[in-house]
Amino acid sequence: MPAALPPTGDDTHADGEHNGGSPGVEDQARAARALREAFARLAPQGSDAWNFLAAFTHLGDRYGPYHPGASALSDALDAESRSGARRQGRLDRLRAGRDRQARTAEGDRTELEEAMGHVVEAFRFLSARVAALEARIAAQDRPVEGAAWLVPARELGDWVEPVAAHVLARTPGGEVVHADCGEGALLRTCAAGGATAHGVEPRGALALRALERGCSVTIAEASEYLSGRDADSLGGIVLSGVVDRLPLHALLPLLAQSRRTLAHDAPLVVVSEPGTAAGAREPVALDLVDGRPLHAATWELLLDRAGFVEVAPLPAGGRQDGRFVLVAATPS
Amino acid sequence: MSGIHHFVPVLHRGDAVGRHTLRLRDATRARGIRSDIYVDTVEAETAGETIPVLDYPGAAESGDVVVYQFATASAMAPWLAGRSETLVVNYHNITPPDLMAPWDNHLALGQLRAQGDLRLLAPRTTLAVADSAYNEAHLAGSGFAATAVIPPSAALDAAATAAARSARGPAARPAEDGARWLAVGRVSPNKALESTVAALAVARAHGDPGATLQIIGKPATESYVASLQRYVAELGLAGAVTFAGHASDASVAAAYGSADVLVVTSEHEGFCVPVVEAMSAGLPVVAFDQGAVPEVLGGAGVLVADKDPYALATSIRDLLADAPRRAALGEAARRRLAELDLDTAADRFVSLLVRLAPAAAAST
Repeated sequence: MPAALPPTGDDTHADGEHNGGSPGVEDQARAARALREAFARLAPQGSDAWNFLAAFTHLGDRYGPYHPGASALSDALDAESRSGARRQGRLDRLRAGRDRQARTAEGDRTELEEAMGHVVEAFRFLSARVAALEARIAAQDRPVEGAAWLVPARELGDWVEPVAAHVLARTPGGEVVHADCGEGALLRTCAAGGATAHGVEPRGALALRALERGCSVTIAEASEYLSGRDADSLGGIVLSGVVDRLPLHALLPLLAQSRRTLAHDAPLVVVSEPGTAAGAREPVALDLVDGRPLHAATWELLLDRAGFVEVAPLPAGGRQDGRFVLVAATPS
Repeated sequence: MSGIHHFVPVLHRGDAVGRHTLRLRDATRARGIRSDIYVDTVEAETAGETIPVLDYPGAAESGDVVVYQFATASAMAPWLAGRSETLVVNYHNITPPDLMAPWDNHLALGQLRAQGDLRLLAPRTTLAVADSAYNEAHLAGSGFAATAVIPPSAALDAAATAAARSARGPAARPAEDGARWLAVGRVSPNKALESTVAALAVARAHGDPGATLQIIGKPATESYVASLQRYVAELGLAGAVTFAGHASDASVAAAYGSADVLVVTSEHEGFCVPVVEAMSAGLPVVAFDQGAVPEVLGGAGVLVADKDPYALATSIRDLLADAPRRAALGEAARRRLAELDLDTAADRFVSLLVRLAPAAAAST
């Protein structure tokens, strides 16, 4: 049995807690699971199940030769199999045995193959078009991939306590989600208050520290996470960090997702720190993170347009370096 | 004059199956037996070594033995199954389609079809030779009646790994500025390199902030590589992980010589040639207990039963901190390599073939 890993290099956390040792078994298991899920979500086919493309490609291959045009031998096999005058040989018998269920009669085979070839080509064309459109939509509605990791981590600040108090007072129950959760200070405060709290954090190294400190965290963008949650299922959402680094065209769908997933009467909190955000950015981050911190009045308008009610500043959230905290709720 | 001929869909000089096929051909010819390599797709780099498969019927002789290098789906399988020569299948395994499907459906489809090819060939095959006992079990499950196990003759030249061993020295010490992890092989979903990357993140967070990973190998599918690169960035490892792509034999050997540990986190391996290359180069191996890797290692490396990044990072750290253990594993590796006897593997394979081709052997 190998010895336990040493604690993380920085033993004083951003939220002031002290790391007393290496992560416990449960925290390690949770972190390992989160790391696996963070990679699995990147699979372009989406799941282990064969998708539509595979289904019709397989159909085509059952009726067709080995990759038509891929090799001289493949084409030679195809030509042989299409030759009506040719006497059936050993190869044909072997192939017939394999494809028997797919064939109605040997005489119909060529015609069927040709028809299926056209169908498959049509599906391939449509699939390519859909893929192109999906890629375009993804580029429009989602943040630039890679940008989030360039934003340096920073302490969540003294707004954690008042925001947690607001969320705990207003939540109708259900999971409270925090994006970007950093090392999990708000999550732990909410959990201490009795809520089930879950963090979303695209910066994996930061998420790993939160996970190892007992937090439940998904390594992803907030929009990715919320898109997988059921409607009316969440007891509260806190958006910090993410609101200052995403461009407007990504913020609007994020608000729509928040509205969809929050339960009736559940609170939404927006924490914007424009001064800190701009000051903390490195030049390379400025190149890619095209979000521009919005004014409080703009946020009020966006929240209203997204269908939230009771939009108001949270006075206890403070106004340091231009920071403001807006709270809102979903309608009853 | 009959002969023993080798069939492979495409011959690449720099990959394991290509190197193995060339050595088999050479070992066959060394016995004075007529032997050529037939391919479905002629590659420019090996065009001088190969003959288009459709030329074979004109050159075929009664009593020929044909050896099919099986690692993927190919029109060669039904074509060879339909011919009358004595057929030998050299099986290098098929990656389960489920491992490929989330990343590339067409690749997965190819693997599915390869499984069909294997079943098709089974009743036609006189002898099936597997790289490992692990692969032999697959052959038995696919209906092959006569099987044997001979390891592939696919590792880097002994001179190259000897040079790497010499560069490492007798008791190489990990770099003080961080352990240098190495992964070698196709960058493919079945290699599960994300597990290595995740473990690196854990290692850097816990005591080895300077640890790095070099990944050498040709991408099997771009989607997997792109996701892997994004994952690396997400975990804050962009400066710690190097994707070297396909590398020359000399570069691979140099990497064995300069790394501290070969990390293998594959979900599926039919043999894993880099494991024997690392053992030859004196490089310790830490691997998940999966596929044929435990069999190939034969106790000469560290197996991690729990496929968990913390367990892997801990095992690597412990090994690199324990010089006597590394030395003991080095000795075990020498013994295991002697058992595998890779230098004579091609010749042993040909000995099996000669028994099936008395006419070819008699004509020498």
